[in-house]
Amino acid sequence: MVPQRKRRTPWKSWLLFLAFAGPNVALLIIFTYKPLIQSLQYSLLQWNIGSATARFIGLDNYTNWFSDPATANVVRVTVIFTVFTVGGGMVLGLSLALLLNRKLRGTGLARTVVVAPYVLSGVAVGLLWLFVFDPNFGILGAVLKAVGLSSPDWYNDPQWALPMLIVVYLWKNVGYVALIYLAALQAVPRDLIEAATLDGAGAWACFRNVVLPLLGPTTFFLSVTTLLSSLQSFDIIQAMTQGGPLEGTTTMMYQIYQEGFATGRAGYSSAIATVLFVVLLIITAVQMLVVQKKVHY
Amino acid sequence: MNASPFANLNRRQLLQLAALVGGSAALAACGGPAVGEAGGAATDKATDWTTVTPAKEITWWSNHPGTSKDLETELIKRFTAETGIKVNLVTAGANYDEVAQKFQASTGSSNVPDLVIASDVWWFRYMINGQILPLEALAAHLEMDTADFNTTLYNDYEFGDSHWAVPYARSTPLFYYNKSVWKKAGLPDRAPKTWAEFDEWAPKIAATSITPLGLGKGTSWSAWWFCNMLWGAGGAYSKDWTLTLDTPEALEAAKYLQKIVYEDKSAAVTAKDQVADFGAGLTGCTIASTGSLTGLLDAAKFDVGTGFLPEGAKGVACPTGGTGLAIPASKSPEQQLAAGMFLKFLTNAENTAYFSSNTGYMPVRTSAVEGEAMKAVYAEKPQFRTAVDQLATTRVQDWGRVFVPNGDKDLTTAIEKIMLQQADPTEAFATAAASITKSYEENVLPYL
Repeated sequence: MVPQRKRRTPWKSWLLFLAFAGPNVALLIIFTYKPLIQSLQYSLLQWNIGSATARFIGLDNYTNWFSDPATANVVRVTVIFTVFTVGGGMVLGLSLALLLNRKLRGTGLARTVVVAPYVLSGVAVGLLWLFVFDPNFGILGAVLKAVGLSSPDWYNDPQWALPMLIVVYLWKNVGYVALIYLAALQAVPRDLIEAATLDGAGAWACFRNVVLPLLGPTTFFLSVTTLLSSLQSFDIIQAMTQGGPLEGTTTMMYQIYQEGFATGRAGYSSAIATVLFVVLLIITAVQMLVVQKKVHY
Repeated sequence: MNASPFANLNRRQLLQLAALVGGSAALAACGGPAVGEAGGAATDKATDWTTVTPAKEITWWSNHPGTSKDLETELIKRFTAETGIKVNLVTAGANYDEVAQKFQASTGSSNVPDLVIASDVWWFRYMINGQILPLEALAAHLEMDTADFNTTLYNDYEFGDSHWAVPYARSTPLFYYNKSVWKKAGLPDRAPKTWAEFDEWAPKIAATSITPLGLGKGTSWSAWWFCNMLWGAGGAYSKDWTLTLDTPEALEAAKYLQKIVYEDKSAAVTAKDQVADFGAGLTGCTIASTGSLTGLLDAAKFDVGTGFLPEGAKGVACPTGGTGLAIPASKSPEQQLAAGMFLKFLTNAENTAYFSSNTGYMPVRTSAVEGEAMKAVYAEKPQFRTAVDQLATTRVQDWGRVFVPNGDKDLTTAIEKIMLQQADPTEAFATAAASITKSYEENVLPYL
């Protein structure tokens, strides 16, 4: 049997497609693809950002970054920050969503309170929490003192500065996770839960075997968006610690900024940005593979 | 319902679309630095300034050091009244670093200012990037009395027989002490002359239930005040481009810092801001910029005393800091001339005294130091006199800290490891020295 030739897309459809997609594609080219390609190009240069000239140095920026003793610390900080903000955010967000999903008095207000920090500016949130954590004048220090404890040196001890940032990041962003989970929870069919309950499933079994699998697509969506947002977080770090003390809160994203603008090594900074881009691409691809196999719609 | 056009894309069409997007992106990627061309500092283009007419309007990027926006606006008003040249004052950042970041990123764009703040750790980078103009010829044409500038402050901007900026909002670290605490501790009303004397006094200050000395931290700060201990011990961060952090003198200075923090417990590193801690009465004394003087005198609920930084075993040692003003090399001669006229006006004896008396920064001209305006300030705030007198003891900063990208940051990390984590000074300094040397070889040497 001769295979049937596929019908060609009418030119009018193409025109329509261009009319709708054209502006977006143009914006993508200018603001996403162009910087991406330029970043790749710059990563092969030794370029002081203020200089009108640069030298081609091949992959030296990459080998320098991978062989720099400071890199291990930056990767460690990035991994800890990401794991706790993404993992912690998902667990806390889901817990909050489950609470907010109950039909109790005041849930409307509670929902607003939980989501409100998400819409605040990261810099404002950072500055606000600096007052809370201040070991000399902060409310947290006063509370700890009242119960006979001394305040950790949040600002000078790298072991405490990173947890401080994670707490603030979670406070700001957990409302977003809770909001999305709440919407997903409300879409879970009641009859499935009722059927499970009639079959003798307890609250935990019902959640574990009915609700959680149905939240799969939402969990996947949130894991991708919160991971990207966590790895790209900058404002809270800049407002609270500027990567310190002793580079104890310098994530890859913050290092890109510091090397590019504070140190002025634009080529080196672009190389780190490229590495981060590749890491994000791989993680997202893995997530996509997992979603195809494990997440049931 | 029609399917999406994408649904019918075959492989060839997909490739065509990808090529379209990719090609557009590649075209868009044109621009950026010229690869392979010789860079380095701008040269004096031998402009015949006598034939140049100044521009009618210029732009000045400032961070208004010492919350000086109103003062700068007033100075602009006076300049415009005198010359007819309009000056657009742009807040280009909250601090020197932010202005520098914007200025560096503006290269090659149409947004380069005509006059820009150039701090002690940034002007050299502007210079090797070819962003700023050597000022000798322009200063000579404008008959600017450069000999009247405080020598140390002016020579901070000298490299390769040229000056690349002139001093504007300049400061030094100053020793501040709480007179009430001093009295309670039975100490004479003055700063300790030497660190050895501070060591003698510290237990008496501690006996008043207060941390004797509060130390600051962070970039542009830790490695600045540590110059005092380092130079006082006979050490230095570098000699020209060679790092000297492994000398016995440098290590001795680091060990002294560790001793007062960990053994004597006569000094503590601030959690956030050592000036705020001192003003709130948490510490008996501190080292802070002269630029903090006016604010501290206003805010503190006790009498504030000031003195020279304590001397080390090898004598007096005080760095300078703050910012100067530079003229971008890429502007037209007309704009550069107008900017030069404004620069001359801003830093003349009358205006430096006006700026100084209202902010706490140093008067940058020797003729201004004993002028009427400053005399009135000394009468009202005698502490200010100490700051000005200390200028005579200052010296130009070590290149390893202020000229090498990351120099200050690497030194800050080393010093903070030493004073916050009790790290081995030899190891901490060796790490910093290796990093700074590498940065010099990659980011400075090719451009010299």
